[in-house]
Amino acid sequence: MTRADLAAIAPEVLLAAAGCLVLLLEAFAPGLRRAFTALSVLAAAGAGWLAWELAPGPAFGGLLVADRLTAVGSLIVLSSAALALLASQGYLVRERILGGEYHALLLWGACGMLLMLRANELLTVFVSLELLSLCLYALAAFDRKVVIGSEAAIKYFLMGAFASAFVLYGIALVYGATGSTFLEPIADSLLAGAASPWLGTIGILLLVGGFGFKMSVAPFHAWAPDTYQGAPSPFVAFLSVAPKAASAFVLIRVLATVFPEALGTRWPAVVASLAVLSMVVGNLLALVQKDLKRMLAYSGVGHMGYLLIPLAGLDLGPAGVSTLTAAGAGSSWTPVLVYLAAYALMNAGAFAVVGMLYDRPGEQHLISDLSGWGYRFPLLGLALTVCMLSLGGIPPTAGFIGKYLVFLHAVEHGQTWLALVGVATSIVGVFYYLRVVYVLYMKEEVKAPAAGLVIDGWGKAAVVLAALGTLALGIFPAWLLDLL
Amino acid sequence: MATVLELLLGNTLTRLVFFPALAALPLLFVRRDAVRFVKLYTLIVSFAELGFAVQYAAAHLVGGRFEAATDGAFPWISRYGISYHLVADGISQPLVLLSALLLPIVVVASWRGIERHWREYAISLLLLTTGVLGTFLAFDLFLFYVFFEISLVPMYLIIGIWGGERRIYAAVKFFLYTMVGSLLMLVALLWMAWSYASLAGEWSFAYADLLRLDLPLGVQIWLFAAFALAFAIKVPMVPLHTWLPDAHVEAPTGGSVILAGVLLKLGTYGFLRFALPLFPHAAEAAKPLLVGLAVTGIVYGALVAWVQEDMKKLVAYSSVAHLGFVMLGLLAVDLIAWQGALVQMVNHGLSTGALFLLVGMIYERRHTKKFADLGGLARAMPVFAFFLVFSALASVGLPALNGFVGEFLILVGSYRTLGWPVVVATFGVVLAAVYLLKMVGDTVWGPVRDEANRTVPDLDAREIAALVPLAVLMLWIGVAPRPFLEPSRPALEETLARYQARIEAPAPEVALVRAPEAPVGVAEVAP
Repeated sequence: MTRADLAAIAPEVLLAAAGCLVLLLEAFAPGLRRAFTALSVLAAAGAGWLAWELAPGPAFGGLLVADRLTAVGSLIVLSSAALALLASQGYLVRERILGGEYHALLLWGACGMLLMLRANELLTVFVSLELLSLCLYALAAFDRKVVIGSEAAIKYFLMGAFASAFVLYGIALVYGATGSTFLEPIADSLLAGAASPWLGTIGILLLVGGFGFKMSVAPFHAWAPDTYQGAPSPFVAFLSVAPKAASAFVLIRVLATVFPEALGTRWPAVVASLAVLSMVVGNLLALVQKDLKRMLAYSGVGHMGYLLIPLAGLDLGPAGVSTLTAAGAGSSWTPVLVYLAAYALMNAGAFAVVGMLYDRPGEQHLISDLSGWGYRFPLLGLALTVCMLSLGGIPPTAGFIGKYLVFLHAVEHGQTWLALVGVATSIVGVFYYLRVVYVLYMKEEVKAPAAGLVIDGWGKAAVVLAALGTLALGIFPAWLLDLL
Repeated sequence: MATVLELLLGNTLTRLVFFPALAALPLLFVRRDAVRFVKLYTLIVSFAELGFAVQYAAAHLVGGRFEAATDGAFPWISRYGISYHLVADGISQPLVLLSALLLPIVVVASWRGIERHWREYAISLLLLTTGVLGTFLAFDLFLFYVFFEISLVPMYLIIGIWGGERRIYAAVKFFLYTMVGSLLMLVALLWMAWSYASLAGEWSFAYADLLRLDLPLGVQIWLFAAFALAFAIKVPMVPLHTWLPDAHVEAPTGGSVILAGVLLKLGTYGFLRFALPLFPHAAEAAKPLLVGLAVTGIVYGALVAWVQEDMKKLVAYSSVAHLGFVMLGLLAVDLIAWQGALVQMVNHGLSTGALFLLVGMIYERRHTKKFADLGGLARAMPVFAFFLVFSALASVGLPALNGFVGEFLILVGSYRTLGWPVVVATFGVVLAAVYLLKMVGDTVWGPVRDEANRTVPDLDAREIAALVPLAVLMLWIGVAPRPFLEPSRPALEETLARYQARIEAPAPEVALVRAPEAPVGVAEVAP
């Protein structure tokens, strides 16, 4: 390990150290508990800065890579972490579970994700996957009083363990077929025809399945609604975005190794069918949900379907197969990253509002409970409306720009039919997102807000940042596009 | 930054479009019970907006004709050749002026009619104005699409929050119908931009660039279908009109006025500006179908209006018939018919707007819109009766009022190119007289069916103030139409010449982009 290697993992080191610090303070200076949120957000911001300043290129002998795309990916993960942390303060106080473990686990989870999205080697991918997964399992069960929360965490853990096993087995098979765990040699070996095609194919299918699970792509989505419903809402703002972003990076890299034409046209078909299935299943099931968190979970399945559209016509720009730099205008990275950024903002905003407006976690979060609350909570109502419109893909919001780029990518790559499927399911989506808006503003109040709600400055800050960010990205998308 | 300020402070289209939205921002911080302040503020803003629109139009009315005016094109998402480019020409100016005129009228008319959440109402109204003005002025198709969609949300809120009993159903239906069409249009638009990019080697969503794209007929048909569907839903053309009666009946008065006066014009404007000029060959091929639908709409709308027992429903169906005339004129592709269609768009906004206002006024007093409860109102409400008869006659197309000018020009112009279907459409004029006079007869005249009708208070000064400008314009256009027709002529002539030059040559076998300077019709194959 050289000095340069150490510098290359500075963001991760900072996050891990901040997590330890919070944990130590929890043990030795519990009086400082209320400062943990500020401390962890600062750590996330610092890590973001470090990730942005990271020297491009490989580190640890090629185990990790860094470039502009991973920098943007890191920022997406970290802003989602920061928004979740901000939104958590009031929630943790209200539920009387404020403690350093929460912040530490969240920071470590983010650390695992940063590693994973920069990993260029399959075992590194696996190790970082485990790091982030264990943190997320624990966080899902963080509110021990809530029975349904433990149930959610157990479901997530059992299925997640299966998925991890899939990933590991896939890695083993790919290694058996090609003799390497580094992505470029795998691609070369597959291209050269030296590898056993069956072993390699099964291995990569297993990998796709494993990461499809983390991204809650249909048909690997069954865990998401139950877990979202039971887990602490502000944490779901993180759970529903950041692991998906990191997994999308790995998925693109893995797919890039098998997409060259020499390997036939079946891979695009596999990804396209996953995309269609996710869009259809996610949106249709979201349509019938009465529980806001479950609705957002299914809608998230649909959003991952949209995200897969560019992967079905994977195009990594002029630079070639699996180099990860040089994103041209037609590159698949652009729609994926913009979509993720949009999704991070709008979903975080929505879950932050859910966390503040629904007391008694674990019970149902009925959409109808919000009836007429748009006037009672003008700020939260407006922010939730912006997030819903953005999730529905209505301009001038980030969600629209994301959809625009995804559909444009499909049209550009001769997959107009995928864009049409996307359009059809978007209309279904608009229907249920609008339901939240009309419940907020067009229905008479059916239920007075509970007395114990905590709507604090931190939470409001998270919501306002998410909503303004959604609008800003929708009105000035060039700002993000120019980075890519 | 300096440019932004210059654009916002000068006599520019940017100021015209964004002033209402920016003026809505402070309302977010106003106390919710300061209703009186909110009303006055909104009124001042709406008059200022009308002033800006008039000032801009006056500055670009040269020798009695509107010259094309713009703030310039600014790169917005340069990576995809998307720019912020607003242009006002003879086609958009009348519609912009109409929208700006209806805004203060709607504010005045909503003074008492809107009883709850006035602050939110004002915000929705102002955002809606920004949306529709942007749609009429955008000369970049991406920008157009964005404004087209932006105008949906405030209207959805206006119908859904301040509407009648079935308001949520109506609002959601309105939203979903429009969304279906516009999302397909988005895919078609992306397809066009991509073909342009692959032929010309650079991305562009600019109207002027995409006009140069010459596509094979097979492709044009699909793209035209997507655009036409989006606009036909908005117009609305039969059989896609079913959202309209629901939306109109449930919307509050102000919402109905804007919906009829402005939002429906987004559809006809879309045909005139985009669907026809961009895909002329496909439009020619689809003409029999569309003319058939337009004529069906005229007759069907009139017949359905005839049997209505509710004033608002009747006026709503009359919109279907009137917009059918506008579509007929547009499809005729003839200068006279187009002039008639354009002026008829304005006419419909004035007379139907006035009718909706009047329906709202009677509803505020009697809490009913049914003929069965009305009748004999003329005795207690002579002023109301005057305006109702006046607006109904304008809507019927009585000579010396505005409706006559539009319908006459449309019928004359389209008979030259379309022939016998126009004869059928002419029956629509007769039917309009039947159903509108029936409405007048059943409400202001006839037997007094309810004793309450004898003691209804007549219109007050505020209500008269809202109606007078509309009535004055109806009369003015009817008596002296020239100043309303001539300014738009150059823009219509140019669009028409381009269209005709395009259809003289057959659609190309393979997609190509015509050179910018080459005379229209001369094709040059791009790499």
